[in-house]
Amino acid sequence: MNQDDGMPAGSAAGPGFPVADAATIRREVGRLARPHLPTLLTVLVLGVLSTATTLVTPVVIGALVDAVRTGTATPAGVAWTAAAMIVSTAAGSAGIGATIMLAGRCYHAVLAGLREQLVGRGISLPQSVTERAGTGDLVSRSSDDVGEIVDAAPQIVPAVTTAAFTIVVTVAGLSVLDWRYGVALLVTLPVYVWTMRWYLRTAPAVYRAERAAMSGRAQQIVESQRGFATVLGFGLAETRHRRMQDASWTVSGHTLRTRTVQNMFGSRLTGAEFLGLAAILLVGFHLIGAGLSTVGAATTAMLMFLRLFGPVYGFLLALDQMQSVFASLGRMIGVSTVPDPPPAPAGRAGPGTAVRVERVGFRYGPDGPPVLDGVDLTVATGERVAVVGPSGAGKTTLAGLVAGIHDPGSGTVARPARTVLITQETHVFAGSLRENLTLAAADATDDEVVAALGTIGATGLVGQLPEGLDTEVGARGTALTPAQAQQVALARVVLADPDLAILDEATAEAGSTHSEQLDRAADAALRGRTGLVVAHRLSQARACDRIVVMDRGRVAEIGTHDELVAAGGRYARLWESWSAGRPAPAR
Amino acid sequence: MRATDPAGLGRGRLTRRLPVFWQAAPDTPSARPYRVTPDTTARRFFLRVIFSVPRLTVPAAVCATLLMVGQSLVPVIVGVAIDRALATGDPSQLLFWLAVLAANFLVATTCSRFGQQLMVHAAQLAQLRLRETLSRAVLHTTRPSRRRVDGSVVSLLTNDVARTAAVGLGVFALAEVLAIVFIAGALVFVHPPLGAAALVGAAVTLWLTSRLSGRFTRDSRVYQGLLARTVGRATDLVHGYRVIKGVRGEAEATRRYREASGETLHGAHRNQGLLGRFVGGSGAVSGVYVAGVAALAGLFAVQGAISVGGLIAAVGLAQALLPQLFFLSRNAVPGWVAGLAAGGRVLDVLKAADEVGARQERATEPLPAPAPAVEVTVPGAGALRVGPGELVGVLADDRTAAAITETLLNPHGAGDDGGDGAGDGSGVGAGGDAGIAVTIGGVPAELIDHAAYREHVLVAPHRATLFSGTITDNLDVTGASAAVRAAALRAAACDDFAGGPDGAGEVDVGELGNRLSGGQAQRVALARALARDAPVLLLHDPTTAVDPVTELRIAAGLRALRRDRSTIALVSSPALLGVCDRVVDLRAGAGARGAEPVAVPGGSAR
Repeated sequence: MNQDDGMPAGSAAGPGFPVADAATIRREVGRLARPHLPTLLTVLVLGVLSTATTLVTPVVIGALVDAVRTGTATPAGVAWTAAAMIVSTAAGSAGIGATIMLAGRCYHAVLAGLREQLVGRGISLPQSVTERAGTGDLVSRSSDDVGEIVDAAPQIVPAVTTAAFTIVVTVAGLSVLDWRYGVALLVTLPVYVWTMRWYLRTAPAVYRAERAAMSGRAQQIVESQRGFATVLGFGLAETRHRRMQDASWTVSGHTLRTRTVQNMFGSRLTGAEFLGLAAILLVGFHLIGAGLSTVGAATTAMLMFLRLFGPVYGFLLALDQMQSVFASLGRMIGVSTVPDPPPAPAGRAGPGTAVRVERVGFRYGPDGPPVLDGVDLTVATGERVAVVGPSGAGKTTLAGLVAGIHDPGSGTVARPARTVLITQETHVFAGSLRENLTLAAADATDDEVVAALGTIGATGLVGQLPEGLDTEVGARGTALTPAQAQQVALARVVLADPDLAILDEATAEAGSTHSEQLDRAADAALRGRTGLVVAHRLSQARACDRIVVMDRGRVAEIGTHDELVAAGGRYARLWESWSAGRPAPAR
Repeated sequence: MRATDPAGLGRGRLTRRLPVFWQAAPDTPSARPYRVTPDTTARRFFLRVIFSVPRLTVPAAVCATLLMVGQSLVPVIVGVAIDRALATGDPSQLLFWLAVLAANFLVATTCSRFGQQLMVHAAQLAQLRLRETLSRAVLHTTRPSRRRVDGSVVSLLTNDVARTAAVGLGVFALAEVLAIVFIAGALVFVHPPLGAAALVGAAVTLWLTSRLSGRFTRDSRVYQGLLARTVGRATDLVHGYRVIKGVRGEAEATRRYREASGETLHGAHRNQGLLGRFVGGSGAVSGVYVAGVAALAGLFAVQGAISVGGLIAAVGLAQALLPQLFFLSRNAVPGWVAGLAAGGRVLDVLKAADEVGARQERATEPLPAPAPAVEVTVPGAGALRVGPGELVGVLADDRTAAAITETLLNPHGAGDDGGDGAGDGSGVGAGGDAGIAVTIGGVPAELIDHAAYREHVLVAPHRATLFSGTITDNLDVTGASAAVRAAALRAAACDDFAGGPDGAGEVDVGELGNRLSGGQAQRVALARALARDAPVLLLHDPTTAVDPVTELRIAAGLRALRRDRSTIALVSSPALLGVCDRVVDLRAGAGARGAEPVAVPGGSAR
């Protein structure tokens, strides 16, 4: 969820990262494949040799047929034939297995390079770039697209290696047998080309529609699951059930259509197979009649052609898969090749000053309304400043600018090099509690980690978890309460040990009983450093050295709590309304 | 009329007018749920699902059998054609066998199309029925089960349902067996001892290759697990993106991902090695088998026991036998295992839901009319009583607050499983462990008829979920009139973004409300709760993401709108507490004071 503070709504679903073009894809894949070039050459040589070896069987069977027909066959001859078949098929199969293994390893190695590049780049890009594109897009590219390419491997790897080699080698073998058998196969070519053109024109849209329907269905299910309490509480079961079933039936409709397309594809290929067989029989009939070929050679040609059915089908289907793999590659590489934006002009803070914001203006997107306008703010080293104001005043944006997440549209911002920002979002990463804490300080020892928890008064957290620091937390492990998650976030600040810590409503979701405890923890985390606190509860603001009141993108008031209350302005009114009816005002 | 295929299948001018058979009906068909009793076994359940659409699967099986027989006949027909036409030079024989070949292809391809389409259609209908069963029992239930409805329900309703509805298993396994019998018969017909040897050899080949595939299949599962972890790690890191950026943890996060990715690559290498061995090994074994049959047939041909046509046919048939056997071992057996496992998971969920359902049959008491008081007793902390027209604030710690919410939400489903309580917002069914008792007009809530209870008591959870659609769509679900909706939107201070003066609310909220900011989503959720106008409403921290000024407006709006109704506000916000008639403190420190009302300084806003 976004902050309620002028952030562009729905930044999880932004316009998306760019998609790389074909030339970039080729360049990047080529670059990552270069270390594997010797292996790829081996794949080529070994693949051609092994598939050629498997042609021995139809050839010797043809010879056997001729020998039987002419009465020259002997049991010893049959034994030699059998030996030749067994040796060649065993050697050929072993070679094909090795080819697939080597090619598959290259495929996965290149993919691993791509996904590491993608995630590394996605995380290290300036936050403004990533958030404008949308983190949802990044999630989709690092999961769906990676999955798409991995899932395609079992089809694509054999298709582009052994199936392709088999087709080439077999056609060559047929032509060697008699070039006219090779020519006979040409009649099938227009059918294959026509089928493939039809398929590539028709199928992608049908598949896309099916996938879109599937995500629509998943969305309905996820919403009902996530909103189970809401569905139950509001009695929405029947409505939601119907919506899910309708979404599911829409998927069924698309599934049936894709099946129809696949059936049509299969029928066309079957037609080509019939044409090929008929052509070989016709050519064989004429050649044998003219004494140019033997019955055995015709048998060999027929057996060779029958062996092509599987590889051709696999190869053509892989062409279709390769389209979606190519699309996924474009989306993955598109993130890796996003250029860095030019750095914004840096301000100068001057001695004794930690933060200096000068005449800063900012808007989300070139056409957006101004979110900040002419903001000036100076924070002395070691000072703690609170930012308050209504929704949409620009508090979170100001925090983001000071933290360096956004670059100002106009004006300058100076900040310490070591600046840390903690927001209301307390993501707990899947992994151990230790890993969650050391994210901010990779080299921290267990003693330092425990000390950091002690600083914020959360030593008890380790004891509350079944396996202490080793406890798996996050998505698949023990679920931390919102208060515990905030403690983890604040302990990260202590471990990162920054000069400036910015807390953006960091303790707002604390719940009823933990707010005071977390306020104390935040106070401890900020001790000894400069602090900027975007406050929701005014008790937090009151504890700061100075308070900045924002309104509609401008600084409306600035001063200490007592000064501002005495001044009787916006803050005074805010304070009055906030403290009215507070059961036990904390002193 | 457009010059394109109306069915979107890219067909040419001649064929585009042909009908397309067995597509989905435009409207979702009604589906009968599958019945499950406590003694239904996973195997019986799975079999029942597979055979639940016989009007489609029986013709599909007939088509599939014809298809496979037709495929096996291709080498036989060509062999005979070579023997009778090519070897003799008789053109009429050539034409005749070409015609036979064409007819065979035509029958096979037609059967393939109809068989596949019928089978997929049958699978869709079985899936529809499975979802009907599951959805009503666990996801869209009015009688919640004890099980937590976690993210696994998505996989249950998609992957597991698809695997359980494996009607093709029945269709194709039967067709395979029939095709094998046919090929065996044909081989025996060509030459009985040769046929017998070919069959024995095929069995040995099958056994050897399935042994080879075992290790690869097992390792593939390991590899899939590794891959899922890497993908999961990337998703997790991106979800925590702002946290990483905030603490400058980019390098460390990237290093962790590289580590996971490297492990997966290592797994991929091992997996590819096993795949290579499997492909090479099974290729060699089946190649040797075909070579053996060919050599044996050659030997019989040398002895003059079979003709050249018989020799070719025998080799062709032996080759055709292998794919059928491989299908049984590579597709049918894993499909059966996976389907049985998925069916078992589906069945477990259904049975657990049924158990709770049976207990709930006892809940038949009517609501004590009219407008009874609600009493909530928290052991060790005290009780609170809310009468008609009252707005009562409650101070409670997180666990107690969650337990009260869940008990009121689901008094009938509270079970004895002692859930972990560290709820993620959707954890329903874990509230029972706190032993909280709810009575309405003196009648225990768990005895009150379901529908009546739901009508009467509305619980607005803290993490309310908005559903994709407009704001109006979200408010519509309450069945409220436009005037009530507009009043609710005003009371929840949604007027600044929810549209014009009529409270139109044609704003699309996005998936799970993600197009709204946190505060906006919270206000829409509150408006939805208010629009239901339920006699009893529980609100749990409804304004945590709202700024103080707006919160104050909401407090006033809430008080005014709920004037004649009972409202429990589990809140800590001073603005909301300020408009409560009474505040009850159930926090640990307040235990000694019990549920004494806390004085509200400054009086209430009434």
